[in-house]
Amino acid sequence: MKRMACIPVVALALAAWASDPALAADDKPYRVADGNKVDKATLEGWRTWRALACERCHGARQEGLVGPSLLESMRRLSKDEFKQAMMKGRPEKGMPNFDGSKMVTENLDGLYAFLKGRADGAIQPGRLEELK
Amino acid sequence: MVLTQTGRWGLLLGLAVLPGFALANPEVIKLTQNARNWAMQAGNMQNHRYSALKQITSENVKDLRVAWTFSTGVLRGHEGGPLVIGDMLYIHSPFPNKVFAINLADQTIRWKYEPKQDPSVIPVMCCDTVNRGVAYADGKIFLQQADTNLVALDAKTGKEVWKVKNGDPKKGETNTNAPHIFKDKVITGISGGEFGVRGYLAAYDIKTGKLAWKAYSTGPDAEMLMDPEKTMTWTDGKMAPVGRDSSLKSWQGDQWKIGGGTTWGWFSYDPKLNLVYYGSGNPSTWNPVQRPGDNKWSMTIFARDADTGQAKWVYQMTPHDEWDFDGVNEMILADGINVRGKPRNVVVHFDRNGFAYTLDRATGELLVAQKYDPTVNWATHVDMKTGRPQVVKQYSTRAQGADVNTKGICPAALGTKDQQPAAYNPANKLFYVPTNHVCMDYEPFKVEYTAGQPYVGATLSMYPPPKSHGGMGNFIVWDAGAGKIVKSKPEKFSVWSGALVTAGGIACYGTLEGYVKCVDANDISKELYKFKTPSGIIGNLNTWEFKGKQYIGVLSGIGGWAGIGLAAGLEKDTDGLGAVGGYRELSKYTELGGVLTVFSLP
Repeated sequence: MKRMACIPVVALALAAWASDPALAADDKPYRVADGNKVDKATLEGWRTWRALACERCHGARQEGLVGPSLLESMRRLSKDEFKQAMMKGRPEKGMPNFDGSKMVTENLDGLYAFLKGRADGAIQPGRLEELK
Repeated sequence: MVLTQTGRWGLLLGLAVLPGFALANPEVIKLTQNARNWAMQAGNMQNHRYSALKQITSENVKDLRVAWTFSTGVLRGHEGGPLVIGDMLYIHSPFPNKVFAINLADQTIRWKYEPKQDPSVIPVMCCDTVNRGVAYADGKIFLQQADTNLVALDAKTGKEVWKVKNGDPKKGETNTNAPHIFKDKVITGISGGEFGVRGYLAAYDIKTGKLAWKAYSTGPDAEMLMDPEKTMTWTDGKMAPVGRDSSLKSWQGDQWKIGGGTTWGWFSYDPKLNLVYYGSGNPSTWNPVQRPGDNKWSMTIFARDADTGQAKWVYQMTPHDEWDFDGVNEMILADGINVRGKPRNVVVHFDRNGFAYTLDRATGELLVAQKYDPTVNWATHVDMKTGRPQVVKQYSTRAQGADVNTKGICPAALGTKDQQPAAYNPANKLFYVPTNHVCMDYEPFKVEYTAGQPYVGATLSMYPPPKSHGGMGNFIVWDAGAGKIVKSKPEKFSVWSGALVTAGGIACYGTLEGYVKCVDANDISKELYKFKTPSGIIGNLNTWEFKGKQYIGVLSGIGGWAGIGLAAGLEKDTDGLGAVGGYRELSKYTELGGVLTVFSLP
């Protein structure tokens, strides 16, 4: 039920991107300026990263600690694979399933965008603010 | 009523006969009194980590060599240490929590136990799967598994005698603590303060596993086993009853239900008083703005009756925590400590908040509260009348507010000391304390609670204190009567290993780089022996004697919080490099891997 609930949100988010000429141009899921100013969805993605304490395993700079470096794996994972890992987890490796978290299900695309931006080197580590 | 009478009887009996004989588990006490064994994780019920053995001395410790080693076959952080009873050694591993019974005569494995645990418990332990060791009593080895199953194994065969579920990992409840045997009970706690778990202490019958009592850290008086009239606390310079709903009144709404106060530390027991001592952890979340009030009884030292669980007295060290200064660290019981010219029987506790506390352990009276690292800055001092720390506004994450990065707080969330237990030398009445020397920036933010999901609500960045020696740890000697550091030995990294002190005049500890170090107990600046084990050490040093020879054993296997080197909440790319860089440098020295290394003289 909870997973189903997120689908309209995802659809809306995708629709929003599709209508954004800046995004369409370079095919990036995020918009960023000065390395630390990002679009609203990406900002919420970073807030989700922070609230779920992802840095405890993946490092403050996503460079990997007990968990793998997301700078590496985000270059490899398709968006579907990313979502699958987030929702179902990889319990045998210590990755929790986050399908029970409202914040994650509502901000999954933003989280993907944030981590993609980190892996691309376009978004800096640390605090972000909204791109006006 | 019951509580008072039991206390009095305990006192009378204790005075009348040999210490502890009448009321405590005679078998375990007898085993711990024979220094050839190391029959409890801390060596004895008082948490001394002291041995009367003196074959290895300050003169000959330089000749120490490795006698044998044993791989647990497990990566990740290895805390706790070996138990030795007679000719058998029992050693455990982190998740999946294997237990090995090793025959000391030829180091063969007599039996091995490996529980089947749901791997979904691993992420709930985020991020390390430590276990602090097994306990022995009544011909059984007790294992507190990560998935909260408490298991009694036949010490001879490793076969399960009984098993009981202590918590629910689906709610974020897990276990890392060692079970403690006091009297006829096995006492255990619960972890999960970062998942909004409501902490409790539970006592099970050692014969059957039947729950004897369970006492929550927060909530209604009845569920905390607290008597509003008889449970005492330090109030206005004297002991006074806690009063009705002392916990409920200190929380907003129902926050106490997800309010933490978990109990994963080292407990102790006074057989004469029949009291169990332990501390409760941080209130949840780490964002203080979301939980106004003192958040009782998180961050509290508890003294409970071993038979009934009733709280005799409580003392809250950090009301309304704003820094994650869990109060779970070991409670050490020491007799005849000179406090302002009078010998007192006390409980000594080195808290995460950077203050070392000395309390009368019968009454709960606050005697001493002093900083055991001079860089501690979040409070100026503890007001001895109210017992409250005097918080410095600049370092108050509540005063600075949510979404503000409060900088330069000392100590960091991992405390001036975490769970790594100190040692007490009854001969010179001094404490040998492994410490952290780390400061932090702390930014709280709002979080929503979802059962089984992280409920943290702050990002942190950690680094060595500015204007200090540059390292992230110290090994210190502490005078608990005077509240003063006697001597401090700087270390490059946090000293995350339980110390050992012996009648041979040595004190030993491990380092995160992987060294076992033994120093002169009379002058800890004199390093007498050093050996590099296969991995960083977060385990505790234990000692025993077998066939006339003294051995010292320790688990290496880097991990735990220090090994993870948590650092987050960076504002700029260059921020926090001290912390990240500091702990990151560990990778130059060590890799994962659990090994027991055993030392002896040639």
